[in-house]
Amino acid sequence: MRRPRVLGSLGLGGTLALAGLVGFALLALGAMIGLYAQNFEQAVGPEHLSPGPGAWLGTDALGRDLLARTIQGARVSLAVGLGGAVGLVALGTALGALAGLRGRAVDRVLAGLTDAVAAVPPVVMLLGAALVLSPGISTAILAISLTQWTGVFRSIRAEAMRMRSADHDRAAVAMGAGYWHRIRWHLLPRLRPLLITSLVLSFVYAVKIEAVLAFFGASSRTLPSWGRLLAESGSELARGIWWPIAAASVPLALLVLCAQVVADRLTDDEPGG
Amino acid sequence: MLLRRLLSAAVTLVLVSVLVFFVVDALADQVTQDLGRAASPEALAARRHLLGLDRPVLLRLWQHVSSAMSFEFGESARHGHPVASLLARSLLPTLAYAVPGFLLATASALFGGFCAARWRGWPGRILLGLATILMSTSSVIIVVIGQYLLAHRLRSFPVLGWPLPGDARDVLGFIVLPALLWAVIQLGPDLRHYRAVFLRELAAPHLEGLRARGLGEFRVARHVLRGSAAPVLARVSARLPHLVIGSVVIEHVFNIPGVGALLIAAIQDGDLAVVQGIAFCLAAATIAGQALCDLAVFTLDPRTRARPEAGR
Repeated sequence: MRRPRVLGSLGLGGTLALAGLVGFALLALGAMIGLYAQNFEQAVGPEHLSPGPGAWLGTDALGRDLLARTIQGARVSLAVGLGGAVGLVALGTALGALAGLRGRAVDRVLAGLTDAVAAVPPVVMLLGAALVLSPGISTAILAISLTQWTGVFRSIRAEAMRMRSADHDRAAVAMGAGYWHRIRWHLLPRLRPLLITSLVLSFVYAVKIEAVLAFFGASSRTLPSWGRLLAESGSELARGIWWPIAAASVPLALLVLCAQVVADRLTDDEPGG
Repeated sequence: MLLRRLLSAAVTLVLVSVLVFFVVDALADQVTQDLGRAASPEALAARRHLLGLDRPVLLRLWQHVSSAMSFEFGESARHGHPVASLLARSLLPTLAYAVPGFLLATASALFGGFCAARWRGWPGRILLGLATILMSTSSVIIVVIGQYLLAHRLRSFPVLGWPLPGDARDVLGFIVLPALLWAVIQLGPDLRHYRAVFLRELAAPHLEGLRARGLGEFRVARHVLRGSAAPVLARVSARLPHLVIGSVVIEHVFNIPGVGALLIAAIQDGDLAVVQGIAFCLAAATIAGQALCDLAVFTLDPRTRARPEAGR
């Protein structure tokens, strides 16, 4: 089995990728507290102005500054990525720990439920949930957390079951340790590397899902999202208007790539690789 | 063991249909979807009675589950056709481009994954890096830019559309580009997965034994392939349900009347019977795929036969 390594030896590529992630986070944070990129709703020039001084990434079909819209889009991707990752890992861990430590009937029921939830393809669940509820960032986070926890559940459950047969856990039980104590002091420390990796991988997954949701208009309606920008300007490519697509796809691909490289470095255990 | 597997598959399927019922029942209001938010309470109640929504929950649950088991999902609120026939009609366009794309992607991912695992120096690193970049590029980006480059720029394919029934002209032209883009989307993650599988298998100690006995590298590679049959099959079967749904993005951009397009239209129209039908059918396909995969592993890999309960 792959044993994830704890943060620390990320290597050059991993460190660069982590720096990239921090950069994206700072960019989104600055936009959120209102330091820059606040004029993303107003027209600053003629429509489809090509990149140049005044509008560094050009303008969109309504003459709005694409640089400001791209920076605001980072807020959506990061919020859904972080929220979705934390939500699904938390839910999967809680249920997995419950199933693994309790065993018997609880385990049967939860495992059956997981099989059923995992059997419905993610696209159906996510688009259905996001469009039936009113579209928005919180809906996207909720939809991702409530439907995509099954993978985390399975790995945490397996680890909890393995722990149940370990001596230190048996000793703790013999001394009268309750479930909460066992989860807090025995299971969580054991799971830390696994949880960190799951978080990063879930972040990658959630960001990609957000792009697809936004493409179908099921993500944020108030903030410009990269997925929505791609949907809006895909047909303009044929007229030679490439900058809206570039402004949406380059940061989206970079963000996912950074997170993916960090995740790879965390799980990298190849001899000499 | 086989019987138990089938039984658990059936139980899961029933659970799925219960789950779908409760999610739709709790989250969506079919009556308001049909009549609009401004409808009077009397009209809503009358509609509710007409659709039988005022009956007890357990009774409706029972009817929903039993009719889902016979693949009866009622009629689409928008089109008036039975859901099953709508699904069957959109299955063909999806499979027409998804199956070639899937085969192409799986073959090249297996080949690329094996090469990247076998030659781990520069060739392997370059392959791995390319796969990582491909995987990090959202499917939305791949489809939008792929359509532009290959259809608009190179003009080698029709930009979008689907041949009308009976019109055999240009069928290939409409299929090739979606299939190609499908393969590109699937290639990145699959190549990385198969590389990891082959790496594990190439490190197995029995290969040294084979080499020590003087077997050629080609014969050794055959042993590696057979040894990794189980994880490869598991991956393929996990991918099978994607075949049925297709890529919603591809079908949306290329205007293909497939299952994904049906799903999007149904969700946007609030056509809950269709959404329920699609969810249930795809879950059934997933569960059937898993059961088939277990069966195939059972016949292919002697280790699972020797210890049938291992790994369960």
